[in-house]
Amino acid sequence: MNITIEKENNVTTAILEGRLDTLASQEVASEMEKLNQAADGTVVLDCKDLTYISSSGLRLFLSLRKAAVSKGGNIIIRNMSADIRQVFLMTGFLNLFQIEG
Amino acid sequence: MSKRTAKSEGFYLFSRLGLIMIAAVMLGATSLIQYVYSINALKEEAALRAQSELDGARSEIMDIVNQTESSVRNSIWIAKWVLENSLDSMMRVPQRIVQDNPGVAGSTLAVVPGYMASTSLCAPYVFRSMDGKGLEWTSLATSDYDYPSKEWFVKPLELGEGYWSEPYFDEGGGNFLMTTYSMPILDSENRPAAVVTADISLSWLGSVVDGMTIYPIALNTITSRGGQTMVSAGDPPRSGEKCLVYSAQVERTGWSMSITLPEREVYAGIRKVGYMVNFLQVIGLLMLVVILQLVTKSQRKYQQLDKQRERMQGELKIASDIQMAMVPKEFPPFPERHDLDMAADIVPAKEVGGDLYDYFIRDGKLFFCIGDVSGKGIPASLVMAVTRTSFRNLSAGEESPGRIIQAMNDSLSAMNDNSMFVTFFCGVLDLESGRLRYCNAGHNPPRILSKSIQELPVLPNLPLGVMAGWDYEEQELQLYYDDALFLYTDGLTEAENLQHEQFGEMRMEKGLHGRSGAYEHLVTMENLVKDFVGEAPQSDDLTMLFIHYLGKDSGEYGPTLLLHNDIRQIPRLKGWMDYVGSEYGVGDSLLAALNLAIEEALTNVIMYAYPKGSYGCIELRVGCESRELTFTLMDSGVAFDPTAAPEADITLSVQERSIGGLGIHLVRQIMDKVSYERKDGNNILTMKKTV
Repeated sequence: MNITIEKENNVTTAILEGRLDTLASQEVASEMEKLNQAADGTVVLDCKDLTYISSSGLRLFLSLRKAAVSKGGNIIIRNMSADIRQVFLMTGFLNLFQIEG
Repeated sequence: MSKRTAKSEGFYLFSRLGLIMIAAVMLGATSLIQYVYSINALKEEAALRAQSELDGARSEIMDIVNQTESSVRNSIWIAKWVLENSLDSMMRVPQRIVQDNPGVAGSTLAVVPGYMASTSLCAPYVFRSMDGKGLEWTSLATSDYDYPSKEWFVKPLELGEGYWSEPYFDEGGGNFLMTTYSMPILDSENRPAAVVTADISLSWLGSVVDGMTIYPIALNTITSRGGQTMVSAGDPPRSGEKCLVYSAQVERTGWSMSITLPEREVYAGIRKVGYMVNFLQVIGLLMLVVILQLVTKSQRKYQQLDKQRERMQGELKIASDIQMAMVPKEFPPFPERHDLDMAADIVPAKEVGGDLYDYFIRDGKLFFCIGDVSGKGIPASLVMAVTRTSFRNLSAGEESPGRIIQAMNDSLSAMNDNSMFVTFFCGVLDLESGRLRYCNAGHNPPRILSKSIQELPVLPNLPLGVMAGWDYEEQELQLYYDDALFLYTDGLTEAENLQHEQFGEMRMEKGLHGRSGAYEHLVTMENLVKDFVGEAPQSDDLTMLFIHYLGKDSGEYGPTLLLHNDIRQIPRLKGWMDYVGSEYGVGDSLLAALNLAIEEALTNVIMYAYPKGSYGCIELRVGCESRELTFTLMDSGVAFDPTAAPEADITLSVQERSIGGLGIHLVRQIMDKVSYERKDGNNILTMKKTV
């Protein structure tokens, strides 16, 4: 699991690569914290290369979303694969995020 | 000197004095009692002996007395006849008496003055001549002598019976002590007519008293009626000396015999004995003092020895502690490693011993060793310390266990003057690849716990320290996830019970069955040994090392996947799911969904089934029947039914959504059927999906 964070103007883009399973969710905690801090602006999560996500990963997304709500920011999820979208669907997460692409 | 020693010193002195005093008092009392009894016994004995001497003397005297008396008495009838009929033959009366009785020295028949008309005084005296052969005679009727006034004449007439005179010295003849027995003679008209006498010498009395020899120092005397000493023999007592006096009367004569014994003489024996006893008692007391002195000394010596022993034991304890501190004791040894679960323990025998183990991780490789120094006690422990240091030093820059052991052997052999050797096993496990390199130097082969329990194949290398330059050969083995190594010293297999049976390898291998945490394995084994050994004392160190490899998967998956309660186990699930996918022809999307569901269920178990820090084994199994896949997840953790959790509400807003509860929701969403049961202490979650 790899997360690359890029910041341009008021938009923070995080490129997620690999499998975000339970272990990976723990390992990326520090990167996710950086995103939480940027949640007063727009945070784009590019999931083009995210192949797998577990509930732990979803929880990270939800925490980020909550931070954005409280800070008045905005979270955009881009390029979700069908499998990931399916998980979002099952968990009602599709309704919580702004999904693009 | 410490206070305590001073106190005990005083106590010893006091008790010693007391003991001596008690002994002295008891000895004294015994002597006193013995003395009193002895005195009495000696007194009684002296009395008896004196009495018997006196009796003997009296009967001796009485013989003479009786003879004399009867010689006189027997002459009375003839004296009477002479007086009445033939005055001329008066001389014949005393003549006869002297002639017939050799004991009689002289005799007379003295007429009472005025009895005869012819002459007023008449007393012919017959006596033995000086040469003792013939008889001579003389008349006592002289004006010089005046016999009618003499005691021997007056008394018998006065008394009317026989009378023994006071002893007197014979002036005329032998100048020796004499006594006279005289009897009155009455005529037919009962008028006193004459007195007939017999003189006897008392010289024989000397031999009588001389014969009374009951004690060497005694005064034997015979005194007359008038208190005149007739004869005496022996030494008179010193003035002021206490004496015992025994006496007896001689009938008729009025003599009395006495034996005077100085007490010192009577008690001389007891005094002698008493002196001897007292002497021995004093010697005994002195010996007691000496013995007590020696005993106290040796006691002090023992106390010192005790102290020395205590100190030595204290030092041995410290040595043992130092030794124990040399082996790593922390548990878990590597909490940060998810690919290794290990534990080691050493149960030292009472003495310091020579077992050792060690381990450390360097460059992703686990270095470990176990060893047993020959012998016991301080020498073994010193060699153990040297061996352990040598291992640490030589393994710091070397990754080949063969070369480590070879170098250790060379250094140990070089300084081994005491023919001590060490059986030793050294292993280096690459935790990344699971590659195990090892070398055994004569140690008990470890067990490898894989699909079965087997002896690790080892080459017959010599123990360390036996021969310098020995070429130690190294061996290799590939370990995969869940393989384990069990290393031990012979203190385990040779632990003996009271019947002298050994624990043995069979019991040991039984204790290795099943899989739990490394620490639990060791506890199980220790309990097995403890139960087996019972009350028997532990004679040797018991050392065990359990290494559970949880790293590289073998890549050869089967329907069962074993995992343990570590979140870092999660990535292993992907490989197994790929195997399930290809085995049962499951499409990628569905497989990803199934993977997700199973991961959620597995995560739940890993996070919550086992207490933090404890090892838990988890088993995942897959089966397929008419296109229905069945996944079974089994763990031995605390009972928990995930299916009982309420449905998560996925329609809530961002603020309302809770962080948890998603996992079981996903399991329910993805799987067709989810059921839970608790069986034999296991949680079993069954998940079914038709594909």
